[in-house]
Amino acid sequence: MESLLGSLFSAIGVLLPFDFAEPLFMKRAILAMLFVAPAAAAVGVPLVHFRMAFFSDAIGHSAFTGVAIGVLLGVHPLLTMVAFGLFVAWAIVLVKGRTELSSDTVIGVFFSTVIALGVAVISAQKGLTRNLQAYLYGDLLAISEVELLWMGILLLAVFAYLLLAFNKIMLVGIHEGFAKSMGVPVRALEISFALVVALVVTTAIRAVGILLVTALLVVPAAAARNVARGAASAFWAAAVIAVASGLFGIAASYYLDTATGATVVLVAAAFFVVTALGREMFRR
Amino acid sequence: MTLPGHHHTLEIRNLSVRAGGTEILSDINADIRCGEVTALVGPNGAGKTTLLLAILGLVPYAGEIRFCRAAEHGEGAPRIGYVPQRLDFDRNAPMTVQDFFALSSQRYPVVFGHSAKSRRSARESMARVGAGHLISRPLGKLSGGELQRVLLALALRDNPDILLLDEPVSGVDLSGEELFGDFLGQIHSESRFSLLLVSHDLSVVGRHADRVICLNRRIVCQGATTETLTPENIAAMYGSDAHLFRHGPADGHVHAPPAAGRDKGKRD
Repeated sequence: MESLLGSLFSAIGVLLPFDFAEPLFMKRAILAMLFVAPAAAAVGVPLVHFRMAFFSDAIGHSAFTGVAIGVLLGVHPLLTMVAFGLFVAWAIVLVKGRTELSSDTVIGVFFSTVIALGVAVISAQKGLTRNLQAYLYGDLLAISEVELLWMGILLLAVFAYLLLAFNKIMLVGIHEGFAKSMGVPVRALEISFALVVALVVTTAIRAVGILLVTALLVVPAAAARNVARGAASAFWAAAVIAVASGLFGIAASYYLDTATGATVVLVAAAFFVVTALGREMFRR
Repeated sequence: MTLPGHHHTLEIRNLSVRAGGTEILSDINADIRCGEVTALVGPNGAGKTTLLLAILGLVPYAGEIRFCRAAEHGEGAPRIGYVPQRLDFDRNAPMTVQDFFALSSQRYPVVFGHSAKSRRSARESMARVGAGHLISRPLGKLSGGELQRVLLALALRDNPDILLLDEPVSGVDLSGEELFGDFLGQIHSESRFSLLLVSHDLSVVGRHADRVICLNRRIVCQGATTETLTPENIAAMYGSDAHLFRHGPADGHVHAPPAAGRDKGKRD
């Protein structure tokens, strides 16, 4: 495993022969971004299709509680953050299926509850606040090798899942009943997709932070819509925009001395603005 | 029109559907006969779409829905095709008609392109409903009538045993009359699937349906079209105001009352 990461680091050194990619912590950050950004963009495409941005945000904010639980129990916060995110995703899907309330109302209730719970636990434990900073804004430059491995596994898992489920998810997003008549197991897909989103969101928090994590999923997919006409071009455009935003963002943050996660998201937002303007010009 | 033997494709027994404490459908007993056109009529909020969703297994229900497959259609569970009333999808979604077909006809994700098989079946299916020219258009840019044709083409692609067709409120999208006049009647006479048609246009029902089920949360009446669509039954179903919605006898159209507030609200 060490040697695998080592050879990936030297590959980065060869492919990106620039100052910013020189230090080891920068190589780790770049590799983390190369794992997380495509995974986020890949689930972001069906997420936007499903109009689930708010859901993703709620899962992101569940990390307040997830991190607090981790620190309280003395286990790695990444572990509890991912586990709690999965639990909240599952709970939201379960409650949504059993009530007449609209889905944004259900998500809204969960959204505020998980923040309140997290803040309550954190405020009771002095000294936790400092720990939380890294999760609020992300801490890409302090990624550990264990976390890197986890991110690499996540990327593979997300692509394996999408290989099996992408078409069916898109069908459900168009019309549940129609998808069902085509033999798609609608309920199983809704639950599994929600869990995959939770997995990606909670992992990506380490890179860009709770406040910005939804952007990593939504902005590349939204920008891709400005340039794409079909499903294939939308998917690959989102992946390219995500990776490009990640690399340019890390480089820019190195030279400008700005927060890495925020800079990455700003670059992605710039892609969105440029593609939106291009679309308007092209139309005329 | 009636086939000998009267195989039932679909038997609905003591079906009821509850949602949020109210009974939307109660005590439904009906048969959909093999190869026939059965029309499902009733006022807005009568539970017509809910009945279709129950048949599809998308809403929980009490009672029984049995599917039977005519021997000449082969073994196994019957295939159900479904054409929803409207798609509430994101009009801005980057997805072409070809993508839409490929989603359900190839295993690998459409992001890797379309298989030759999915391309061929899309071409053939779309040509069948007279809409071959739409194949590379974005789904969100189609008109209501064009979208209806795409959905119908997809539903017919896999040679369904039963086709559930939830017709849009007439006059807004492609009307039932156009659907039948253009191609549905012909396709049906070739393929002999059982068609369950939710219709808002009683003249379409009168002209094309073999049997009628009148629904208003429970079965009001059912039977052969000519015997069932009587002024008395129509009045019982839509209320005594139904005559207000009749056009002059010259054009022969009898319309169901226009959409009530609930349905209008959904359309944007």
